[in-house]
Amino acid sequence: MPTPTNLYNIKTTTPLQVISVPKNELLENMGIRIGTYISIKTRYKLGGPVLLSVEDSYAVAVGKDIAEQIFVKESA
Amino acid sequence: MHPKNKILLMGNPNVGKSVFFSELTGTHATSSNYAGTTVGYMKGVCALGGEQYTVIDVPGTYSLTATSEAEAVAARFMESGADAIICVLDATNLERNLCLALEIKKYNIPTVYALNLADVAERRGIGVNTGLLARKLNAPVVVTIAVKKKGIDELKKQLEVVLHSPEKQLPSKNNTPTCGGRCTSCSVRKSCSSSDTTFPLYSNKKNETTPPCSKDTSGFEATFPPNSLRGKGAAPPPWATAKEISRQVIIKNPAAKNFLDKLGDSMMQPFPGIPIAFLVIMLVIAVVVGGGEALIQGVLEPLVDNAIVPFFRSLFSFVPDGVVKNILLGEFGIFVISFEWIIALILPYVFLFYVASSFLEDSGYLPRLSVLFDNIMRKLGMQGGSLIHIFMGLGCAVPAIIGSRAATTRKERIVVAAAVCFAVPCISQTGAIIALLSNYSWWLFVAMLAFTLVWLFVAAFLAGKAVKGKVEPLLLEIPNLLIPEPKAYTRKLLTRMKHFLLEAEIPMLLAIVAAALLKESGLLDTIAVYAQPLVSEWLGLPPDAVIGLILGIIRREMSVAPLLELELNHLQAFVGGVVSLMYLPCLSVFGILTREFKLKVAAVIMLSTIFSAFFVGGVINQVAGLFL
Repeated sequence: MPTPTNLYNIKTTTPLQVISVPKNELLENMGIRIGTYISIKTRYKLGGPVLLSVEDSYAVAVGKDIAEQIFVKESA
Repeated sequence: MHPKNKILLMGNPNVGKSVFFSELTGTHATSSNYAGTTVGYMKGVCALGGEQYTVIDVPGTYSLTATSEAEAVAARFMESGADAIICVLDATNLERNLCLALEIKKYNIPTVYALNLADVAERRGIGVNTGLLARKLNAPVVVTIAVKKKGIDELKKQLEVVLHSPEKQLPSKNNTPTCGGRCTSCSVRKSCSSSDTTFPLYSNKKNETTPPCSKDTSGFEATFPPNSLRGKGAAPPPWATAKEISRQVIIKNPAAKNFLDKLGDSMMQPFPGIPIAFLVIMLVIAVVVGGGEALIQGVLEPLVDNAIVPFFRSLFSFVPDGVVKNILLGEFGIFVISFEWIIALILPYVFLFYVASSFLEDSGYLPRLSVLFDNIMRKLGMQGGSLIHIFMGLGCAVPAIIGSRAATTRKERIVVAAAVCFAVPCISQTGAIIALLSNYSWWLFVAMLAFTLVWLFVAAFLAGKAVKGKVEPLLLEIPNLLIPEPKAYTRKLLTRMKHFLLEAEIPMLLAIVAAALLKESGLLDTIAVYAQPLVSEWLGLPPDAVIGLILGIIRREMSVAPLLELELNHLQAFVGGVVSLMYLPCLSVFGILTREFKLKVAAVIMLSTIFSAFFVGGVINQVAGLFL
């Protein structure tokens, strides 16, 4: 069974599903909520952000501090 | 209480509201391809069916819950009421846009939805069933490509319809068509049921509007029970409704990514993104510096020296030699330097910078740059998004500081403002510094560039340490990479130039008149004597250079321009450039700092710029003096 990992540390490019998010209005506005399907397009070194494809339709860059608080699981 | 004839223009950030605003009112609102260009709001007048309406360009928001300044403004507008709303939706990102649309719908104000960016959606293989969408929203949906002016006329027509419809769009339990039957498109009401067309419609259909009329006028409330997210009888949250609607109306055709999409993606990979970033920056420098030099030497300088100035010399030939003549035509004569400095020194660089920066803004490249360099920015007490404001500061510090309102925390705003004031020269100052250094050698120019970058890092880092508070992490939607639309781009460029001329001309002329008077009254020589220890002994500049420090209070480039007349050596030119770069930002910046922060913050920034400019400039001079 896939275990929850935070978005910053997960090392996969397979599709992911969000299982918990920090309380952040902007994050919600960007459509990243519990249940949202995302995949990681690019990660940046030296504390850079994670670039996500959200619901396979648009790209959102999420800074390290928020990415660490978003928990995801690999979606089947 | 109810305001007369008010139309609100609403939508998510970066969906093109400002373009609609310009098209509807003829007033130019600044638009760029990234979120948050409109921080305040703009008003304009639009004539619809012989009546005048005030159109308000409301700042872009994702919701009306008032968590940010922009949202609070939007929510206030909604509560104050309006005759109609134009809600702009991004066709490439419908679900998220619908969240706001559904919130707006609750206010029961007649609304027309503009499904914008239809061309980009089409390119991406995204089709929208506009008929179904119109029924779900219970309001007309007009397909638009605002930057190409497509769909604007239809939007106006639909606005008139909803404005004059007595029932407006109040959700009705009966089956009355919401357009009140007056809607021209509805006269063929039987065709409504078959109007569930999917755009792209531009190529093959004239009428791009899909009216909400049909037998199914129930709106989404009635058609929306089947959702597991729905609680016991409670209405589903707007985002769940939005998700459901967008699931129903969007038809995706897998489309091959085109070149721009691929380029947009690869610009965000560290490789080749970072090399591309350097290439873009070099290209901008080449266009601005190289192009500026060419323009000046090839066209403007000969024009000023051989035509304009001689013309004024002959015009004023009746004036006898003396103080008056010198004020008009002497070394710092008003009719000499106002042309030499403004036309042959500053304008070409300003123009070319706006050519390059407007292109980058409209293309959607800047947010990509923000993502690439977020890690470095974080270490400086900012986040990647602030790179956009710093970039704007290369044009002028005032819009950069206003634009940083989009930054979420006060700390970040102050750090951005400090970085811009301390280490980012505005474009007219950059032009003057380039002109100064180009008289020497290219390596002096490179040294100046390197110094500016290092100083930018130091200033931001120190400001980040000095200001308490936290920096919000980056959270940025990446817009589509686009080739700017020529018309919108040209208009933006012209507006910026006009704005520059209006804003900068008077202070520049004031500085020039001040220069002429200071020189000819002999006051300059007196001040120069007092300033001698600082200017000559510490900074190693000729005593007359003090005029730059006086004029530099009014405008930034005026701290450099006088140095051009002084025949400096290499070291003096470099020190002069450094002092000018670090010295006071202009009076308008002081004004904006006081307005946006507190007088205390403004005063601290201004005093530290003066001190650091003299300190660093002097140290460079003294240390170099040991070796030369």
